[in-house]
Formats: sequence, structure tokens, C-alpha cells
Amino acid sequence: MEPGTAVRRTIAIKPLDLAGARVVVRAALPLFLLVLWYVLSLGWPRSPRFATPVGVLQAFIELWAKGSLQTGALVSIERILTAFVLATVLGGSVGLLMGYWSALDGWLGPLVHTLRSIAPYAWIPLVILWLGIGDAAVISIVAYAAFFPMTVNAITGARNIDRNLIDVARVLGASRLTLFGRVFFPAALPSLLVGARLAMGSAWIAVVAAELASGSRATQSASGGLGQMMYIFYAYSINLNYIVACIITVGVLALLSDRLLGALYRRLTPWARGT
Amino acid sequence: MISAQGITRSIFFTYLRTMALVVVIWWAASAWLARPYLLPAPERVAAAALKLLTTGKVTAAVAVSGQRLLLSYLLAAGIGIPLGVGMGLSRWVADVFDWLVEMIRPISGIAWIPVLLVVFGISNALPMAIIFYAAVFPFVLNSASGVRHVDPRLTSAAKVLGAKRWRILLTVILPGAVPDIMTGARVAASNSWMALIVAELIGAPNGLGFSVGYAQELGNATLVLAWIVYIGVCGYVLDTTLHWLQGRLTPWRVGLKVGE
Repeated sequence: MEPGTAVRRTIAIKPLDLAGARVVVRAALPLFLLVLWYVLSLGWPRSPRFATPVGVLQAFIELWAKGSLQTGALVSIERILTAFVLATVLGGSVGLLMGYWSALDGWLGPLVHTLRSIAPYAWIPLVILWLGIGDAAVISIVAYAAFFPMTVNAITGARNIDRNLIDVARVLGASRLTLFGRVFFPAALPSLLVGARLAMGSAWIAVVAAELASGSRATQSASGGLGQMMYIFYAYSINLNYIVACIITVGVLALLSDRLLGALYRRLTPWARGT
Repeated sequence: MISAQGITRSIFFTYLRTMALVVVIWWAASAWLARPYLLPAPERVAAAALKLLTTGKVTAAVAVSGQRLLLSYLLAAGIGIPLGVGMGLSRWVADVFDWLVEMIRPISGIAWIPVLLVVFGISNALPMAIIFYAAVFPFVLNSASGVRHVDPRLTSAAKVLGAKRWRILLTVILPGAVPDIMTGARVAASNSWMALIVAELIGAPNGLGFSVGYAQELGNATLVLAWIVYIGVCGYVLDTTLHWLQGRLTPWRVGLKVGE
């Protein structure tokens, strides 16, 4: 590269190092698209089939004022939390056992890997036949989807534990309980928390999928949740503004729960940075 | 030392052993429950699965779903990889797209299904758009991180030896980014596979996801399970193919656990 170009580049790039200028560059495209959407929407027919920025904002305020957004979100969050606890406790303990005890891995490993390649959502029709379209059906689909990231990471966590640590603790006379609580569990904790974070991500995707699918198969009774609200806005009122307001809500909640678990990870395992 | 063939054989054996146990438990549970409309016996599901195969229904559904998956996946790679490489190479490009990507990414492809139901209706376009969306982000993010992780000493060496920018990109940076791009390709495949099933279940007139949903509407648990078996087989084949491709393209990474 010629020296001249290098100098020109430093001069061109330098002002951008200011935080403010970078923010402008970063915000430019989202803002441009928002303005473009708004300008285009001015020419659209006034119909709920067309989503406009103003329409989405109005829909959000309206749904919030009626309280249906909060109710729907609460139903989905409750289902996610139940399924998340089930999946992390079950997946975490099965995974740790499989990683520690290779005989169990020999038996369960093939089953875990086979079930993992079946998309969780392929089970939705069977679960609807078994459990209907209510809480139990949605929770089992969400728990199934969240189970595998948790289990796989727990297996990795247990396998990668430095065996010397366990041997040293044993030699020093640690009881089985101390060994598990003081050595084994803390050593596997970073992997467990990574698994829990991935499980939460899968859970948010799965809850929408399960509620949408059960909504699309509901004959009359509604089982609630944000996913089913979206389906109803499609099937009965055909209102795109309402649907987009729900989608944004789901996105924000998913992002918040991910950040929360990320913060927990940094807080609980400060030694495991950089993964 | 155990031979590679011996390892393959023992993996195959443990697999068979577990599956045999599962079938036995399934068989016992269905006999004990004695409600074949909820949990049919394994042999009935096997018979239904065989019938789906001989009547050509499976090949038709796999062809439809496979075509959708392949087209959208390749489109996502064709757009996602160049964009990600651009973001990895230039801070300008990264700054321009960063916030947009981070704002849209938390919304899963599946959440867009109702929007596309309004826009496209139940159609071929719906699952294809959802698959594209689900696959594009892993490609973008992993390509960008792949380019950033290329050893700067390698690019400096190529520069010192007089290589032009394009040549450095093609012979140093892109090959160096392949391991991360392949990780992205596997994540993208698994995401788009799941998105395909849901999208077809809710908003497509045919394909694997539609078929399993249709069997449920008939109230036929045997048929539902038979389709689930085929969906499992396809998912397994998909992941194994990409795993194999990963090994072929980046043989130096074999043995490392990537992206699990």
C-alpha cells in the first residue's frame, strides 16, 4: 500500500473515532428505514392490512390501555418460566450426570442426539392430540425446545472439568456432597449458565411457535398468550398494526431476558470471561 | 489403539442398543395405555410410515420442503456471507449495519409468521421468507467474526510480500474465515430447519410441516408419529451433511467442538 493512501485514511477516519459521530453512523440506517416506512405509508390506503409507524404506535397504546398486551405477555411469561425451570433443572441434572458418568452417556447419548434432530415443533400436532391447546401443551413444547441446549451444555461442562481438581479434593478427604457442591458444580457452572441462556432464547422462539400453532388449530376456546393474540389479529381482525405491536413486545421481552441472564452469567462466574 | 472402523461399529452398536430399548418402552407403554388413538404401537407406526413411502407421499413432501429450504438457505448465504465479510473488513460497514441487525435479531423468524400470513396468505412464499430470515443472521454474524479473527500477522505478511488487496481477501482472509462461516452455516441450517417446520405447519399448503399438521387434523396419531419419524430422519441427514462438509472444508478444525 502506498504511504499517501495511508495518511489520507487516518485523516478520514479520525473524526469518526468520536463517540458521537459513530452513534450517528450507527443510527443512520434504522432511522432512514423508519422515515422511509413513514413516507411510503402516507401513500397507502387507510386499511388495517397495512402497517404504518403511527398505526403501530396507536395499536401499542390501545392494547396497553385495554390491558390485553399485559395479560397476553403475562400468560406467555408464566409458561416460559415454568418450562424454563423444568428444562434447566431436568436438562442440567441429566446433562451433568451424562458428562460425568460415561455409562449413562452411552445409553442416553444416542437418544438425546436423535431427539435433537427432530425439530421441536414437529411434536406440536402430537402434543395437541394428547393435551389439547392449553397451558400444558404449550409448556411441554417450550420445555422440549429449551431442554436440548441446556443438556448439551451441561454435558460439555461436566466433561471439561479438570479431573485433577476432583482428585485433589478426594485426596484431601472431601465428602461426596462437598465434592459436588464445592468442586464439581462451580467448575461446570459457566457451561450451565451458557446453556440456560441459550435455553431461554429457544424458549421465547418456542412459546410463539406453540401459541401460534395451537391458535391456528383452536376451534373456539382461546388459550391466550402473545403468540395466540397475534394469530387472532390475523384470523379475525386482519390488523397488521396489532400484530407488529405484539412482535415488538416479544422481541423486547426476549432481549431483556437474554440480557438478564447475561448479567447473571458475568455476576456468578466472573472468572469465565470471554466465552 | 482402536481402529476407526471399530469406533464406528461401537457407535452404531450403542445407537441400536438405545433405540431398541426406546422401542420396547414405547411398545410396553402403548400396550399398557391401550388407547391406540393416542399412542399407537411402534409396529403400526412403522406400517404407516412404510405406506407413506410406497405411495410416494414422503418423497413428494420432502421434495417440496427440501426445495424451499435449499433455495432460501442459499439465498441467505449469498446475501449474509458478503454482508458479514464486509462488516468484518470495514468498521464503516459494520457501524452502518450493526444497530439494524441487533434491533431485528431478537425477533425470531417464527414471530413474523402472522405478518406474512396477512401479506402473502397461506402460500409457498411464506415458508421461504421465514427460512431466509432465520438463516441470514447466523451467516452475517459468523462471517463478520470469522474475518475479524483472521490472524493479522498473516495479512501483514501477504501485504509485505506485495499481494494486492483482492488477492489478500481471496487467498488469506476468506480461507481464514471459513471455520467461523461453517459454524454459522450449521447454526443457520438448524434454525431454518425449525422455522421451515413451523412455517409449513401454520402457513403452507404442502410440505413436511403441513403433512404432520394435516395428520393431526384428521386426529390420526399413527400418521402424526410416522411423519415425525421422517422429519427426524431429514433433520439428522441435514445436520450430518453439514458436519461432513465442515470436516471437508476445514479439516484442521476436526476434533474441536464448534458451535454446540
